Amino acid sequence: MKPTPSDRTQHGIARRVAAHWPTLLVAAYTLAAFSWTMPESLFPPKRWIDPLAAGPFLRLGLWQAWDMFSPDPRTTDICLEVEWNDRDGTRGAWMVTDMVSMGYVERWRKDRWRKYGNDHLRLDDERDLWQPFAEFAVRRLRAEGRDPAAIALVRWWRPCEPQVSPRLRADVRRTPWQSYVFHRWRVPPGWDG
Amino acid sequence: MKAAVAMIAGAAGSFDAWVRGPVDPRPLAWFRCWFGLLTLVNLALLWPDMPMWLGDDGVLPPDVHRLRITDTRLSIYLVTGSGDLAIALIRGLGLAGGLGLVLGVCPRAAAACVWAAAVSYSWRNMNILHSGDSLIRIGSFFLIFARSDGCLSLPRAVRRRRRPAADDASRMSAAAPCLERVPAWPQRILQLQLCVLYLVAGIWKLTGPTWRDGTAVGMVLQLGEFQRFPIPDFFLTPPMSQVLSYATLAFELGFPLLIWVPRLRMPLLLAGLVFHAGLDWVMNVQLFQWLITSYYLLWLEPERRDGKDGAAVAAKPGR
Repeated sequence: MKPTPSDRTQHGIARRVAAHWPTLLVAAYTLAAFSWTMPESLFPPKRWIDPLAAGPFLRLGLWQAWDMFSPDPRTTDICLEVEWNDRDGTRGAWMVTDMVSMGYVERWRKDRWRKYGNDHLRLDDERDLWQPFAEFAVRRLRAEGRDPAAIALVRWWRPCEPQVSPRLRADVRRTPWQSYVFHRWRVPPGWDG
Repeated sequence: MKAAVAMIAGAAGSFDAWVRGPVDPRPLAWFRCWFGLLTLVNLALLWPDMPMWLGDDGVLPPDVHRLRITDTRLSIYLVTGSGDLAIALIRGLGLAGGLGLVLGVCPRAAAACVWAAAVSYSWRNMNILHSGDSLIRIGSFFLIFARSDGCLSLPRAVRRRRRPAADDASRMSAAAPCLERVPAWPQRILQLQLCVLYLVAGIWKLTGPTWRDGTAVGMVLQLGEFQRFPIPDFFLTPPMSQVLSYATLAFELGFPLLIWVPRLRMPLLLAGLVFHAGLDWVMNVQLFQWLITSYYLLWLEPERRDGKDGAAVAAKPGR
């Protein structure tokens, strides 16, 4: 059967698209990345583009976000602490994300600790992380030879707005901190986690 | 109307030529090498804490993780399930891939290894990720499709040494080993990724009142948890906060536009280096500043420096 003119036109278009696939791919990726990372209020087509991009972006690890310190930077300093009571009555505390007290190298190496503790674990929306972290803390304390009977996760914060004076910058201890125990766990005797 | 259509067609044609025209291999090779080194540093930083972040006895046990992420994403956990084997594989793939990228040994396979390691740890614990991890995943993914071993490649150097330089022709090719052009599209996509990053970061900041009134940088500098090295007191005054906040906005919004002007490209990249070096000094955000500036290498134009607009680069497109 001979191809019709319409078939020939379609084949022509397909050939041209195939010849220009890198351009189409680059344009499509750029548009998808832009849409994925934009606020919806400023880019209404996001609601149509993102569902199309979600499959490849999530499966292939191309998901991204570029909203660090925006729309506004946080106005509080955060710190996370683990307090424990041993079965023999001794008490102790581990400041998990006290970045200022760390040396330069340790602070740099433990940036992911800050990310985990200060940006996620301390939040009420992330409460499903609390108990696993308490259990992890018990395992860690036992590895150090302790026998904790109770664990408390404490969030510390201090407001840094309005700006304090320059001379206070490196000394966050000189401004008042507040604290709140956001999770308690009494470790069952014989818990082998 | 006709003029508008012609203008759009012209712009589309220029874009098509920019994406499809073969390019000098050196920027991709420089990027591959430096980017590979940074992935190794990232791996070294992550290595001792991997059991804590990714392990079954770590801070995010598998049953809690499954409740948090329900969709399927490519990662080695699809093959291994949870457990220590996955951590060993992430370490092995990251190490082999990073070394392969640095040395130019099987760079496509090496990029695939780095990508597999990065998507795997990213999937297993998303709460430890920073923007640098996105740059690692994206950069390694598109390096899989790039011919990035045009130069700075160990196997190429070894082959060159072993090849008997019997005649002038082979001597010539040994002297100019990295001049075969390569397909441009992976480089173009990463160049545009950098533009998207800056543009979107600038737009997001514009939506915030503190960025608009110039107090944002002052606030960031007061956050103890981000502090790194000391800075002079005058940087912490309100006028300097305004200067730095508006300079940040100007740079992030200006970069995606000005980078297309050839005469401004190098000054802009140098300004970006100063900008990110300053941020790296002041703020403790691990490798992000290093990773983002590694993408700058893709914007370099060694042919322009060569003088005769590519006279040293073979016109033959790479396969």
